[in-house]
Amino acid sequence: MRLAWIAICLLVTQIPSRAISISEVRKSLVHITTTSQDANYRVPWNPGSVNSGSGTGFIIDGNRILTNAHVVANARYISVERENDPKRYEARVEHVGHDCDLAVLTVSEASFFEGTVALRFTNQIPAIESSVSVYGYPIGGDRLSVTTGVVSRIAFQPYAHSAADSHLAIQTNAAINPGNSGGPVLQEGKVIGIAFQGFNGEVAQNVGYMIPVPVIGRFLKDIEDGHYDRYMDLSITTFDLLNPAQRKSLGLADDGRGVLVGSVIAGGVADGVLKPGDVILSIDGHTVQSDGFVELEGERVEMPEIVERKFKGDSANVHIVRAKETQDVTIHFNQAWPFQIQSNQYEVRPRYILFGGLLFQPVSRNFLEETKLDNLRVRYLYDFYTSDQVFKERPDIIVLSAVLPDPVNTYLGSFRGGIVDKINGVKIRTLDEMAAELAKPAQQYVIEMLGEGRPIVMERAAVEAARERILGHYNVRNEQNLTE
Amino acid sequence: MSRFLLTALALCAVSLTNVLGANPATAQKPQPKPTVQAGPVQKEGSVIRVNSTNQVYDFLRPWSKRPPYQLRAVGAVLPGGRVLTTAEQVANSTYLELEKPDSGEKSPATVEVVDFDCNLALIKASDPAFLAPYKPLEVAEPAVGDEVTILQLEANGAVLNTRALLTTAEVGAYPVGELSLMLYRLSSSLQPRDGGFTFPVVKKGALVGMLLRFDNRTQTADAIAAPVIRHFLKAATAKGGYVGFPRAGMGAAPLRDPQLRRYAGLTDGLGGVYVTEVTPGGPAEKAGIQQGDVVVNVAGHEIDRDGNYLDPHYGKIAKAHLYSCVHFSGDKIPVTLMRQGQKVQTELTLAYKDPSESVIEPYTIGKAPRYYILGGLVFQELSRQFLREWGSEWTRKAPEKFLYLDAYQRELFKDDPRQRVVILSNVLPTPCTVGYEDLNCLVVTKINGRVLKSLADIEEALAHPVEGFHHIEFQGHPGEIVIDPAQACGIEDGLVRSYGLPALKRL
Repeated sequence: MRLAWIAICLLVTQIPSRAISISEVRKSLVHITTTSQDANYRVPWNPGSVNSGSGTGFIIDGNRILTNAHVVANARYISVERENDPKRYEARVEHVGHDCDLAVLTVSEASFFEGTVALRFTNQIPAIESSVSVYGYPIGGDRLSVTTGVVSRIAFQPYAHSAADSHLAIQTNAAINPGNSGGPVLQEGKVIGIAFQGFNGEVAQNVGYMIPVPVIGRFLKDIEDGHYDRYMDLSITTFDLLNPAQRKSLGLADDGRGVLVGSVIAGGVADGVLKPGDVILSIDGHTVQSDGFVELEGERVEMPEIVERKFKGDSANVHIVRAKETQDVTIHFNQAWPFQIQSNQYEVRPRYILFGGLLFQPVSRNFLEETKLDNLRVRYLYDFYTSDQVFKERPDIIVLSAVLPDPVNTYLGSFRGGIVDKINGVKIRTLDEMAAELAKPAQQYVIEMLGEGRPIVMERAAVEAARERILGHYNVRNEQNLTE
Repeated sequence: MSRFLLTALALCAVSLTNVLGANPATAQKPQPKPTVQAGPVQKEGSVIRVNSTNQVYDFLRPWSKRPPYQLRAVGAVLPGGRVLTTAEQVANSTYLELEKPDSGEKSPATVEVVDFDCNLALIKASDPAFLAPYKPLEVAEPAVGDEVTILQLEANGAVLNTRALLTTAEVGAYPVGELSLMLYRLSSSLQPRDGGFTFPVVKKGALVGMLLRFDNRTQTADAIAAPVIRHFLKAATAKGGYVGFPRAGMGAAPLRDPQLRRYAGLTDGLGGVYVTEVTPGGPAEKAGIQQGDVVVNVAGHEIDRDGNYLDPHYGKIAKAHLYSCVHFSGDKIPVTLMRQGQKVQTELTLAYKDPSESVIEPYTIGKAPRYYILGGLVFQELSRQFLREWGSEWTRKAPEKFLYLDAYQRELFKDDPRQRVVILSNVLPTPCTVGYEDLNCLVVTKINGRVLKSLADIEEALAHPVEGFHHIEFQGHPGEIVIDPAQACGIEDGLVRSYGLPALKRL
């Protein structure tokens, strides 16, 4: 099931709609060209390589441009063009939601919006098999491209941009190609989605995805207060209660209701409210069926869909069975899940410490994808970071990722890939703590690595003598960066 | 000059390859003039075919075995009517026979001693007269640089001699066990005849090794070294019965880094290695050796910074050779340590460690896996054999949590090294397991509130249902599942019948 997801940039216009003509749609479409700079995790003091890409956007109310987050991720310069206007305008990102792959841009030159039309959204999910048209500037030419198809499927899908989030998405057989990303998908003249990803042609044909209106609407509402707070998450796992004996032992009737709370992640919003072994009977009055589905607006949807619609500061009333007694508890969504090492991160500078030529970096998806570091312990701590609550002991999993050879570290190459556990006897939980420990004056720094019976010993005098030599030889700009 | 010497050596070796051969006319190598024939050709030679039918348990369905398969190998005839072959050859053997190469006559045989650490097995013919015409081989030690001969058998029974150069003797990993023992690295253009690589290696009419593996691409082979064979054969005739290769119960790392040397309290420029790990309850711990100690001398041999000593015959060899091969289980050897700059003298009583003493068994051979089926839930103990069911790429494809537990098992259960990891390996769908069908490969922590230290504890735990139900608890999601004891009991016959299970448990 690990298919290769490919994020795509798209654009959309539609001919057959009665409510809007192609000339009207042209007034809303924006061709976006982005110059981006991706962080360099192999040489973290370097600024990273500059890339260029293009995608589609469209104008919505309030003189704003809506597009995909991946069209403008890590942008250093964004230029936008309208149909029938040769001028290029500079745009900037006003809000970006990497977990839902959406971004809102603004253009400071007011003349850009003259004569444009803001597209309007439908307020419903389209029917399966209904026709849709995709507008955008995909590969194959410079001018506007339109493709049509039908709604093939509506379901939760992984969002490739963050690689760690799943939301509702609409699948269509209308061609969606690189460059279409961020473009509107219209039905009867109204936006029903934003084209955003598809499959590599070697994997599947005629499978393109759009972000549906509920996800777009949630994003636009979230940023109304001037800040994007991300999706909320219950931070629990649930287990379907289909087994009669298990239902009986939990004191449940044979009524097809309720799911078991399998685990509660420490530090999540449900921590201290729900416990493993609780049975969730309903959320906000919506009955939870024993296969994990709830009924919402006449549709059977998975239980997380209720939480998808929550905003920071909201709460949910949960009706549970605990120790065979029913009770009501309230979950307050006071923060999004704080640890994001398993998501792709954008607009961040790699954190690192270079000490005596030893490069220490916290493990993250960005880091692993670029360095291809592969050892079982790192893999385990990363993959089980949330489910085994690794973050409690190690919010940062600090790896000795590289050794810049120098006389001070001649014999330390075999420690590469190891994880920092203690320095001078002090447990290290974060990169900041490590920096603080290495800043303390000491004769020597004894760095204990997880599971290694032999420490790394660095004598302060030797490290200091090597500093300028290493910085010079390897063209290192800064010895450390502690903030993303 | 050196080229001349090499050529001379090569000629000499070729002339010796027929010592054990049956018929010089069938030897495939271009022969030098037979004028330097170095001994009488044996009528029956010293090698014999070993045919084994092996059948392994299916650890994903622990009640059944996989289809049997045949392995053919060449064994070395030893004194006393015994034949030496590799342990891999007879692993999970269900039927074993010896076959005379030229006549094809066969005789059933039995495994007398098998040791997977050294990958050797001693086979005894059921009919003692069967081996009588053969000339037994004695074991001799070759030197690095020697020409040796790998003996195979052609389909017609002729001995096929292949020359090999013994390039290196070093301590390295063996194919099955976890112990590092001495290996010979050979360079040879071998053409394997029998699928496997179990062939004797000889020199001047004496057995000097048993081939382990051959890489056709690099034309290199590894062979079990003569000291390992000697240790095995000596232990096999020990009075109290066979005891395997011992270990010291500690791990050590090179000590080259001057900063680490100063940290360890060493001021001299000498050798020594840093003790990184001491196995709980093992010989080193009993001898008072601690992590951070520096081992400088073992059994009278100075240890250098890389952990080698100077062997009188082989030169620089890893000190593990002293612990595991030169000495025997129960031997006491003096060890000198440096601890914070002070010299400490101690005595290590070497001891064999059975694989079943590991938290996660490194190999399970010739032994049926334990399991327990409750209403369709299949419980087992985590073993490496279970992980190997994911195929040749098991280290990447097996469940990651299990791989992690296996790789770092020494960090588990430090208080009780006898504890095992009990797992729910699979679920057979039954009326009892409705809703549980998708569960597999989970770590079981408790049943009915009782910690399972091993699968042996399961029956006692199941004798005490809580509030009328069996409660099975897992590490992490889904937390806990429940089985109705009466229902589980009621479906047992149906379960046995519909899945064709020979039994619902094997403890």
